[in-house]
Amino acid sequence: MATDSLLSSTTVPVAVPQGAPAPTRHRIFSPGRVITIAGGTFTQLVRMKVFYFMAIFAVAVIASSFAFADLETEGQLKLLKDVSLAAMSLFSMLFAIAGTALLLPRDIEDRTIYTILCKPVPRLEYLLGKMLGVVWLILISLLLMDTLFCVVLHLKTQSIISTQMEVLSAMKFPSPDARDASISQVQETILKQGMTWNLQFGVLAVFLKAVVLTGTTLLLSTFASSTIFTIMSSLAVMIIGQAQSLARDVFLGQDASTVPRIIAGAVSLVFPDFKGFDIVDAVVSGTVVEGLIMLKMTGLTLVYMVIHLLAAYVMFSDKEI
Amino acid sequence: MSEVPAVSIQHLTRIFRLPTLRRQTVTAVQDVSFDIAAGQIYGLIGPNGSGKSTTMKVLLGLLRATEGKCSIFGRDSARVDSREDVGFLPENPYFYRHLTGRETLVFYGKLCGITGSALKDRIGELLALVDLEHAADRRLAGYSKGMLQRIGLAQAIIHRPRLVVLDEPTAGVDPGGSRKIRDLILALREQGITVILSSHLLEQVQEVCDRVGIIYKGKLVKEGALSELMSVEDQTEILLRNATPEVLKAVRALISSHPVTDLLTMGHPRTTLERLFLEVTDGSAVETREYVK
Ligand SMILES: Nc1ncnc2c1ncn2[C@@H]1O[C@H](COP(=O)(O)OP(=O)(O)O)[C@@H](O)[C@H]1O
Ligand SMILES: [Mg+2]
Repeated sequence: MATDSLLSSTTVPVAVPQGAPAPTRHRIFSPGRVITIAGGTFTQLVRMKVFYFMAIFAVAVIASSFAFADLETEGQLKLLKDVSLAAMSLFSMLFAIAGTALLLPRDIEDRTIYTILCKPVPRLEYLLGKMLGVVWLILISLLLMDTLFCVVLHLKTQSIISTQMEVLSAMKFPSPDARDASISQVQETILKQGMTWNLQFGVLAVFLKAVVLTGTTLLLSTFASSTIFTIMSSLAVMIIGQAQSLARDVFLGQDASTVPRIIAGAVSLVFPDFKGFDIVDAVVSGTVVEGLIMLKMTGLTLVYMVIHLLAAYVMFSDKEI
Repeated sequence: MSEVPAVSIQHLTRIFRLPTLRRQTVTAVQDVSFDIAAGQIYGLIGPNGSGKSTTMKVLLGLLRATEGKCSIFGRDSARVDSREDVGFLPENPYFYRHLTGRETLVFYGKLCGITGSALKDRIGELLALVDLEHAADRRLAGYSKGMLQRIGLAQAIIHRPRLVVLDEPTAGVDPGGSRKIRDLILALREQGITVILSSHLLEQVQEVCDRVGIIYKGKLVKEGALSELMSVEDQTEILLRNATPEVLKAVRALISSHPVTDLLTMGHPRTTLERLFLEVTDGSAVETREYVK
């Protein structure tokens, strides 16, 4: 019989394996898994060729170091620093928004998210991994940009100093001591406008701001219906974040009652107040920023990261994928 | 048989709310219950849109059950640790296209907590098993459908799960490729691994499965060992080759002359499972209720 031969070929006796639930090896939280997801995200973004944007940065920095050679020396250095820090700020924010906004929709659309979440990976780890992957990308790209910036600024400072030396050596001084004093004074003034640790604080502030924005974008992307919506609303958050303290001053004034203050506080949780991160103008003009301020800024960044991540988790843990 | 089934699905119902204003709902799965004993290959068959993928996703904890429960080796599917025992190959999967085959396996291996030389050895073993050693260092963007399914199968079993869930493993794969996949599934059974697979291709299910469940419009309409489902005690089939009209006429005459014997069908044979399938689904095997976004 046809049926018989078919059956004998399919119902082979089976070696039954142990059927009892195995004692769990699962770890509630595993840094290894988070790093794996972060690394995967970083590779994904790198292979999407985001680093090509860096070429634009290089052109901007180098061009601004040659431009306006007829400006007075301080002006030349200020221009270079202004352009470079503004470009770093812009690029890191763009990476934060565009990089993060693409991640979840892409995984959901390609169904790669199923293959990840069906492994013993808690959803919180998945989100944290994605976020850290973007942060990692921002960090690496800022380091690259910063290195280039430092080199160009250093060269520019050196060339300005040597020009000034020529000018000074052509001048007459009452005594050799007076000449030395004025040479070292000029040198010192110029070096202060060059590469300083204070300036690096500015770069750190740019980084922290981008990190905060990454968290915000991730949160938005857990409930946004489209990537475009995520990007637009993240941009809105960025702008509101810049203007927030201004708005608060206008609407609340100095002597506001408790309720509006609480509301303002709640708003500042969702829309991070970027005013606290605005030290770039200060460092460019040479104002010294205290270490304590940087510490506060870092703390604030961590608080925002945790709040955004937890909120994203609340949204995402209920999300049907 | 062991006491704890590999898979236990009890009264599973899943209702989707559609993103429309008029609170419309779709019942994707309705009161489905079945168990799979450890070591078996279970086939879930049904036309497109009948709820196979939804059932699997709930089983894997990717979707929530509206009602009912699923467990894997006694652990509730909603728990993250139940996934230690499962490997999953989704329907039409796309993995990260920018990764090579090997990098893909490294990624999933690490997610399962495998590292170092253990991971390296396991990956070598798997690449040989799924016959992708030659393509291991090419990016997935250049893989064919069959190769993607095979790398997908490799990532599903990288952590040596006791249960493997395959959603339409051979959909869109050419016959040669699907034979390879079938052999891999049979190799899993040799190792005592439980497999649940879904398909709308009946012949393949018939070739590899010990038990099948036929699911139609969200309901499990028939369920059991292939042997039980296929044998019909009071019927006999006669298969003839080169039967002329005269022979058929004579056979008919002989049967009708006999008082208790009825002629039920006469015609060209179909695979038995396919006939059963058409019977329980009112012959509407091609009907779909595809959800359009
Ligand atoms: N996310 C979803 N939202 C709404 N309806 C869905 C969703 N996923 C599946 N469905 C509906 O549920 C039914 C079963 O789908 P599915 O489980 O994918 O079927 P199969 O895998 O058997 O083809 C279909 O009618 C489908 O349209
Ligand atoms: Mg399906």
